[in-house]
Amino acid sequence: MNGASPDEYIADPGLAEAGDRRIRYSERSMPLLTALTHRFRADRPFDGMTVAACLHVTAETAVLARLLRAGGARVRLAASNPLSTQDDIAAALAATEGISVFARAGVDRKTYYEHIALALGPDGPDLVIDDGGDLLNILHTERADVLPRVRGGCEGTTTGVLRLRRMAAEGALAFPMVAASDTPVKRLVDNTHGTGQSVIDGLLRASGMLLAGKTVVLAGYGSCGVGIAECARSLGARVMITEVDPVRAVDAVLRGFRVLTLAEAAPLGEVFITATGTAEVITAEHMAVMRDGAVLANAGHFDVEIDVRALETLAVSVQPEVRPHMDAYELPDGRRLLLLAEGRVVNLVAAEGHPPEVMDVAFGIEALALAWLAENAGKLSPDVHPVPADIDAEAARLVLAALGAEIDALTPAQRAYLASWHFGS
Amino acid sequence: MSTEPYKVADISLASFGRKEIQLAEHEMPGLMAVRAEYAAAQPLRGARITGSLHMTIQTAVLIETLTALGAQVRWASCNIFSTQDHAAAAVAVGPDGTPDDPKGIPVFAWKGETLEEYWWCTEQALTWPDSEAPNMILDDGGDATLFVHKGAEYEEAGAVPSPAEDDSDEWRVILDRLRNSLADNPGQWTKATRTIKGVTEETTTGVHRLYEMAKSGTLKFPAINVNDSVTKSKFDNKYGCRHSLIDGINRGTDVLIGGKVALVCGYGDVGKGCAESLRGQGARVIITEIDPICALQAAMDGFQVATIDDVIDQADIFVTATGNKDIITADHMSRMKHQAIVGNIGHFDNEIDMAGLAALPGIKRVNVKPQVDEWAFADGHTIIVLSEGRLLNLGNATGHPSFVMSNSFTNQVMAQIEIFTKTDEYPVGVYTLPKHLDEKVARLHLDALGVRLTVLSKEQADYIGVPVEGPYKPDHYRY
Repeated sequence: MNGASPDEYIADPGLAEAGDRRIRYSERSMPLLTALTHRFRADRPFDGMTVAACLHVTAETAVLARLLRAGGARVRLAASNPLSTQDDIAAALAATEGISVFARAGVDRKTYYEHIALALGPDGPDLVIDDGGDLLNILHTERADVLPRVRGGCEGTTTGVLRLRRMAAEGALAFPMVAASDTPVKRLVDNTHGTGQSVIDGLLRASGMLLAGKTVVLAGYGSCGVGIAECARSLGARVMITEVDPVRAVDAVLRGFRVLTLAEAAPLGEVFITATGTAEVITAEHMAVMRDGAVLANAGHFDVEIDVRALETLAVSVQPEVRPHMDAYELPDGRRLLLLAEGRVVNLVAAEGHPPEVMDVAFGIEALALAWLAENAGKLSPDVHPVPADIDAEAARLVLAALGAEIDALTPAQRAYLASWHFGS
Repeated sequence: MSTEPYKVADISLASFGRKEIQLAEHEMPGLMAVRAEYAAAQPLRGARITGSLHMTIQTAVLIETLTALGAQVRWASCNIFSTQDHAAAAVAVGPDGTPDDPKGIPVFAWKGETLEEYWWCTEQALTWPDSEAPNMILDDGGDATLFVHKGAEYEEAGAVPSPAEDDSDEWRVILDRLRNSLADNPGQWTKATRTIKGVTEETTTGVHRLYEMAKSGTLKFPAINVNDSVTKSKFDNKYGCRHSLIDGINRGTDVLIGGKVALVCGYGDVGKGCAESLRGQGARVIITEIDPICALQAAMDGFQVATIDDVIDQADIFVTATGNKDIITADHMSRMKHQAIVGNIGHFDNEIDMAGLAALPGIKRVNVKPQVDEWAFADGHTIIVLSEGRLLNLGNATGHPSFVMSNSFTNQVMAQIEIFTKTDEYPVGVYTLPKHLDEKVARLHLDALGVRLTVLSKEQADYIGVPVEGPYKPDHYRY
C-alpha cells in the first residue's frame, strides 16, 4: 500500500544493489526501451497516472517499470508467477522512487493472489499490464469497485489473450485491452526466437542432459513451438511434434518433423515439452507408458499442460530436487519420470526467461501501446484490440536501428505499381 | 586395333559446350590458378595420360588444364550415363578448333552408352597411336586400371578365361573385349603396365580396389589416392553430393521433398551431405548404417537410425550412399510404398539390385523420361527408379557443381604432377597426397570466396609446433 513500508512485500531489501547492477546490465541489451525512455521522459505520456502491472519480476521487467516511471506513471508491480520472481530485482525496484513491488520468489498460491490484489492499490489503476490474465481476473471479480477508473491495458501472453477474448465474448470485459502477444513482430521475436532459445536453456540447466541424439516430443507447434523445435533440432535432437491444428501440423511435417499423436509419442520420447496453451496435454495415460528417465517440461504459461497431480498419484515416491528444479517421480514398476520446474513455465523457472533483447521488443510494443491507450482509450470499446500496425512497425524500426540494419524504402513508382490494378504482364 | 580420332554423340554441340566450359572456368579457380602457376614450367610435358572419368563440363576444364601443363590426353567417361554430350564435343573440338577441323583431344564418350560401347570407349582411351602405351592413368572408379591389369594378367596366362555361370553381364563384356584385344594386339597390356608411371584415383570405390590389389600384390604401378585428400573427400563427397542429390531428385521427379520421409543408406561423407540437404528441404531423414561410429554421428545429428527393414514401408525416398552392394534388394523394393522414389548416389550400380527387380514375376518397367523409370509390381503398386540405379546425381542432374570439382580436380592435377615428376619417390603402392599439397588446393580456392585467412605469427606457430606456412595439422587429423 502507498503508506506501507516499500520493503514489506519483497524478500530482502538488502539485495537492491545487486539487483540494480543486473538491471543496468540488461539496459545495455535493451536498446528499444532505452530509446523510448528518452522519448517518454520528454513526452510524459503517463503523467499523473498509476499503472498496475502483473509481470515476471525479472531484470527486463525492471527496465520496463523504470521506463513507465520515466513517462510519469506511478508503477505498482506484482509477480505473474509464484516461482519466477528474482528477489534482487524486486528489491532494486522497490527502492526506486515511484515504484511499489509486491513479489517474492516461492510464495504459496494464496499470497500470490494477495500480491496481485495489492498491486491494484486502494483506488485502482489507470492502466494495467497483465501477463497471463490473473490481474484482469482479480480486477473483474474481487476489485470490481475500481473498474470505472481503469482506462485500458495490455496483455502480453497468448494464454492471457485467449482468456480476454472469452471475457469479451461474454460481455464481462470492462475496458479496452490491447492484445500485445499477437503482433507479428512480437510473435517472431518473443515467441519463436525468445521462447525457442530460453526453453532449451531451461531444459539444459535443469536436466544437465546432452540433447544431441535424444528424442524430443514437443506438444504444440504454434509460434513458440516453431522456435523450440528449431533450437532442439539444431542441438542434434530428433524432434517429434504433436498437434491438434491441421494447419500447424502440416507446417511441421513440411519442415521435416515427424508428427504423431501424443499417445504414439509417449513411449518414444526421452524429453517431453508442452507448448500448447491448453490444459491436460500430458496425462496419466501417457505417463504410464513413458520410458524410464523421461524428462517432462512445460513451456506454456500455466502449470496445467502436464497433469502433475496425476503424476503425484501414479508415483510411489517422489525425490524432490534431485537437481535444482528437477523432481524424480518413481512409478510402481521402478521407472522414474523427471519433472522440471514442477511443471511450471520452464524457461522462467529453471533459466532466466527470455534474453533481454527479446523482452526489449515485447515490452517496447507494450510501452508504445500503453502510451497510445493513455491518449486514445476513451475512443475504444471494452473489447480486445490488436496493436495498431504502425506501433508494430515502429517497434521493428527501432530494433533495426539498434542492430545496425538499414532497409530500402519503396520508390514512388513502386508505390504506384502496388496501388494499381492496371499493370500486368 | 585401329584408333579413331574421337567418338562423341554430336560434334556440332561443341560451341554450346565451349560456352559452358568458359562459365565453369570462372567457378574453378583452383584449376585456373594451377594453369597460371605452371604455364612456363610445363611439368606434364611428355605425359601420355589416359583418363577414365565422367565426361562433364568440369572434366573438360580438368582435361584442358592437363594439356596446358604439357600433357597429351585421351579420355573416356567412367559411367554409361554421365557424359554431357556438349562437353565431350567441345573437348574433341578444343578451344582452337572447329567442328569441321577439330583440334582437341581424342575423347570417346556419349550419354547412354551400352556396356559394350562403354568398354570399347575405355579401350580406345587406353590405346595410343603408333602402338604407344599411356604412361599415366587418371581414373575414377578404377575401370581403366582394372582393364590394364586384367589384360596383363590374361596375357601372362596366355588366354582370357570363359565367363563363369554367375558372372555379371558387365564382366562378360569385359572378357569379350579383352579376348579381342589379346588377339589383335598381343602384349599390349603387359607393355602398358611397364610404361605406366602411376595412376591417380578419384573415388572411394576405385581406391578400395587399389588397396585390395596392393594387399594381394597384384598392383603393377604406384597409385595416388586422390579421394582421401581432405579437399577432395570432405568437399566433393559432402558438399558436392549435398548439392547434386536433390538436384537429381528434383529434375527426375519434381516431387516436393518437404514433409517426405527420406531414407539415406550410409552416413559417410556422401551420406552426411545427402542427409543435410534432404533435411534442409524439409524431409524427415532416417539413416541406415553398419558402422557404429557413423551411426552414432547420425543419431547425435538428430537423425533416426534404423534398419532398412524397420522403415521400408514408411519412406517416400530411398538413397543409397554406401559404396557397398546389395543395399536395396528386389524384396525391399516390392515392399515399398506406392510411388516410392529409389536412387543411388554411390559410384557403382550394385547398391540397388536392378537385375533382381527386373527378374521379379509380373514386374513391368515403364520409362517415364530419360533416367526415370516407373516399375509396376504384379499387385499394381509402383516405384520410381532413377538412373537405373546408377548414380543419380550424374544421371538425372549434372553432378557436382564446378566449384566443388575444382577442389577434387586440382588434387588430381597435383597428383599427376607428383607421380610424373617424382616417379622414383613412389615405388609400387598406394599413397595419399602430402598434406602441404592438400592445403595448397584449399588455399587456391579462398580468394574466389572472399575468404581472408589469418596468418600465424612466428611465436604462435612455434607455440603449436608448426611452420608458419604449414602444414598445420598432423596426417591423422580428421577435420
